[in-house]
This record gives sequence, C-alpha cells and structure tokens, in this order.
Amino acid sequence: MTNTSNEKRLGLPNLGLGVGLRSKHYHHLLHNDPVVDWFEIISENYLNNFGYSRHVLEQIAAKSPIVMHGVSMSVGSTDPLNLTYMKQLKELAEFVKPVWISDHLCWTGVAHINTHDLLPLPLTLESLQHVAERVNRIQDILQRPLILENPSTYLQFQHSTLQEWEFLTELVGKTGCGLLLDVNNVFVSGYNHNFDSELYIRNIPHKAVVQIHLAGPTDCDAYYLDTHDQPVPTPVWQLYKLAQELTGGVSTLLEWDANIPEYPELVAEVTKARQVMQGIFPEVPVFRSPYADAISNPVEHTLQPAHA
Amino acid sequence: MPELNTLQKWLTSIIIRPGKLQDKVRMADRHYALNHAALVDASPNLSSEDKIGIYARGYVLRLMECLEAEFPALQHLLGNELFESFARAYLVQLPPNSTDLYDLGYKFSAFLQASQKKLSKAEATLYALPVELAKYERALAEVSRLPGLEGKSKETGSFGFLGLLNTNFQTAPCLKLLQLQFPLIDYVNEFQLGVNIPAPEPKESFALICRKNYAITLQYLEDWQWHFLQSLQNTNNYQAAIQHCCNQLNIEKETLMAELFLWLPMAQDMGYVFQVQSDL
Repeated sequence: MTNTSNEKRLGLPNLGLGVGLRSKHYHHLLHNDPVVDWFEIISENYLNNFGYSRHVLEQIAAKSPIVMHGVSMSVGSTDPLNLTYMKQLKELAEFVKPVWISDHLCWTGVAHINTHDLLPLPLTLESLQHVAERVNRIQDILQRPLILENPSTYLQFQHSTLQEWEFLTELVGKTGCGLLLDVNNVFVSGYNHNFDSELYIRNIPHKAVVQIHLAGPTDCDAYYLDTHDQPVPTPVWQLYKLAQELTGGVSTLLEWDANIPEYPELVAEVTKARQVMQGIFPEVPVFRSPYADAISNPVEHTLQPAHA
Repeated sequence: MPELNTLQKWLTSIIIRPGKLQDKVRMADRHYALNHAALVDASPNLSSEDKIGIYARGYVLRLMECLEAEFPALQHLLGNELFESFARAYLVQLPPNSTDLYDLGYKFSAFLQASQKKLSKAEATLYALPVELAKYERALAEVSRLPGLEGKSKETGSFGFLGLLNTNFQTAPCLKLLQLQFPLIDYVNEFQLGVNIPAPEPKESFALICRKNYAITLQYLEDWQWHFLQSLQNTNNYQAAIQHCCNQLNIEKETLMAELFLWLPMAQDMGYVFQVQSDL
C-alpha cells in the first residue's frame, strides 16, 4: 500500500463539526435538518443489523458525510486478526461509503474473549512492532489508511519505554496511518497518569491528525473516567483549541454516549467549538460523580430496545 | 518484562473472572508468574490493584447493562437481585467472544434452562416461565435486526386455487416462530406499556414474531398456521411444506389448501411470507 504519511491529512478533508449518530435521534434526523456537517457511526452498531438502524443510516448517508468509528478491531491484541470482522467492516464500508474508517490504539481481549473494553498496551518497541504489522495488514485489507484514536487509560505498565505520543509518532511513520486525536482522552489519561496534556498534543505528528474527538468525562475522585455523558469541560476545550491551532484545523466530532441529550442540545454543545476558536471558553467544570457505577466507553448507544 | 501475549492473558483473566479483585489478581499473578505491583504503576491515590479494578468493574457493569437492555421483562419478572445473580453467573460461564455486543444474550435462555435442577412436573412448568421469557425477548431483539422484506417489491392479490398451486412462497428472513407455554405476547406488551401485571398463568400458544416496515409484529397463530410456517421455514418449498404440515397434523391436503387460500394473502400482506419465482 502506498505510504502516504507525508501527505497532509492523508488527503482527507476537514468535514467541519459533527456528532455521533445515535438511535435516540433517528426520528428527529429523519424529519429535520441535521444542522451539523457530518456524522460518525459506531461501526459495530450496524455490522449485523439489517433493521431500522440500517434503514436510517442509509437515509442519513445520502445527505451527510459519514465516518465509521469502530471499537472491536483490537489492533493491539495478540490473537490473530479477526478476518470475519474485517470482512463485515469492509462490507459495511461498501454500503456506507465512509470518508474514513477509525478504531483505537488498544486491544479488547485475547484467547478469543472480547471484553468490549479498550484495554491499554504496554508502550514498548515490541508492542510498536506488533501494532505496526497489524495496522499495515488492516490497511491492505481495507485498501485505505486506518485512522487510530488514542484511548483513555487507567493504568500504565512499568516496562513501557515510550510515551504515548512517541508511540503514535513512530506508528504513523511505520504505517502511514492517520490519527484521531481525542483531546478528552488526552485530558483523562493526563490526569490519571500525571503527564502534561499540552505536551502530549504538542508532540504528536500534527500532519497525520485527521479528526478530533470531544467528550465530557467524570471525576471519580481518585481518577477521571471517559464516560461520554456530560458537556465538554473547560480544560478539554482549551486542549481542543490548541490541537486545532497546531493541526491547522481538522474535522471535529462530539461523542455523547450515555445520558444522551435531545438533538438540539447535542448540536448546541458541538457548536461551542466555533466560539472556542475565537478564544471564548465555556465555563464548565469536570463533572463529579458521587457514585461508583460510572462506566467508561458506555454502551447505552448500542442498546436499542425492540419495540412492537 | 513479560511477553505481550502473556500480559494480555494475565489482564483478561483478572477482568473476566468472578470473585474479589484481590483474589483474582493473586490467582492471575500466580498462574502467569507475574507480579501486578511490578507490572502496573501505582500512583499516590491508587494502588496497582485499584487501577486494574477500574477495568474489572467496568467490564461487569458494561455487560450487565447490555443484558438488562435485552431482557427487561425478564428482569421485571425475576426482580433486580435474582436477575443480576443469573446474569453475572452467565458472564462468568460464557464470557463474550464476539465483536458484536448483540451476540451477548444469544445463549442466555439456554443458560437459564441448564441452571435448573431436576424438577417435578408442576415445578417444571413454573420454572419454564423465565426460560421462555428469555427466549421470547431474545427473539424480539433478533427480529429487529435480521434482514427483512422492507424495500422488496411486493406482489399481492388473490391467487385462486390454480394460482395457489403454481406460486411458491418463502417465509420472511426475519420471521420467528415460538411454541409457548405462557401467553407472553400479552405479558410483554403490558410490561412495555408500564402495566404492573402479575406473572402469567400457563396457557399454551403458538406465537409469531415478525417485522413489517421496520415495526415488530406479534401474533398468536392457529396450530395449522404455525406448523405450516414452520414447515415452510424449514423446507423453503411451498408444496413440501404443505405436505409436511398435513403429515404433522394428520389433516387432508385439501383441507389445508382451503385454509391457505383464505389466509395466505393476509400472511403475505403482513410480511410473514413472500412470493418467489416458482420452479414447480
């Protein structure tokens, strides 16, 4: 596959401001202007789903650009690459015609178990070699660059020898993949592992960044959790502005996956990005939860009850 | 420094195993000859074990949420505590191995069935309810996602006896047939409407779950209707299904044909069956 790492943004466009396509908003979107510039879908919500969700997706895709964002590629797993999953993903891509396909720098399980979580890798040269080989293979299968997102993490391995931004920089160089910079995940991991989030963002390869994710985390007292269930807090907006300045401006996507608000509120949240770029920051503290049952990478958005 | 594969097995085993975190970590350390405290950085606020626990706790909460979403009526019937204990045991026995979260509940009814001891006949009927309800709610979820007839051109109309003989039919790919010991269509409908109803009394029925224009349709069927659709689903051959159904129910072919003559147009209109090019 052609190595396109030196080409700015891999030739992929700045789509503007977008939100995640979630079943809660299907009815609204079928009858109203989407307002936002584009949508991101969770690929797994549509892979084996030939019901109403796919019907809605077809309608939306006819009007707005779509990006496919996955959670099950398990790029870092030592299990063999799941070729059945890759085939399904490719078939969905033929149906959706996404502008790009993304997943995470993580693994989801091993020995054919899928925890449905985004688990952290030790950031070593061994991991780098392993992930780079798999990314190259995935890109050959998909016949397009893979866009990889930095995950939020809650533990670090002592034998890691690279910082995450170093790992991503090396990976981009070895594979020509693109980056989905989740500034909320940088913020969450920075707090959890006591690193400087700004330093992280200043040191990733900006030309490889194709997209930015925004979300609202939860302060669980001793750590931050990537809950996607709150408005974006001020420090995440500050990182967003920095990232946009350093990249020269890339597609922006608001993730909101639990306690999902009505569509107009969702749009209002992502639209704040325009004010932020003018230096006007919303005054929003990080949400603090008194409960211990907050979930990272929530799955509420996948749970669509069957209605009679 | 452990190999990546060993490290991944170590962490996965901690996440998916039941029990207290401390015990799980200790067992995994021993099994894989690793030391969690030497593997995972501690911080002033959190120990290595605490950090692993964030992932272990999230695993259970996330998957429990999925099972609760797929089996809400069953959760209502059993109560939160009992449902949770079955669901947790299910996750321990059958940890997810699919990239698709919708596959998570696939074997839940079979798991509930297998969890029951040898029962008397009266007990067996009583204990059949949660198993049957799990099957029913799983069928609802599957029908909502299977390929359907939406978007396909529909040929409708009256057939006449000759037309009936010369037309081939197949069942919709999203059609599910259930032979029930309890009137679950009524029970689940009322549950979805928020009616606080008692557990249903046993009453045998033949039920159909299908989808038309992306809306789920539910119907109790006559026994001949149910057996005919089941035969058609199994054979994909209209004539063979008629013969098979007649043999099963010990009825004359002409009798069944007369019933079908009246009912098939409606079944087609409801999206239960569709016409295919006849190769008869």
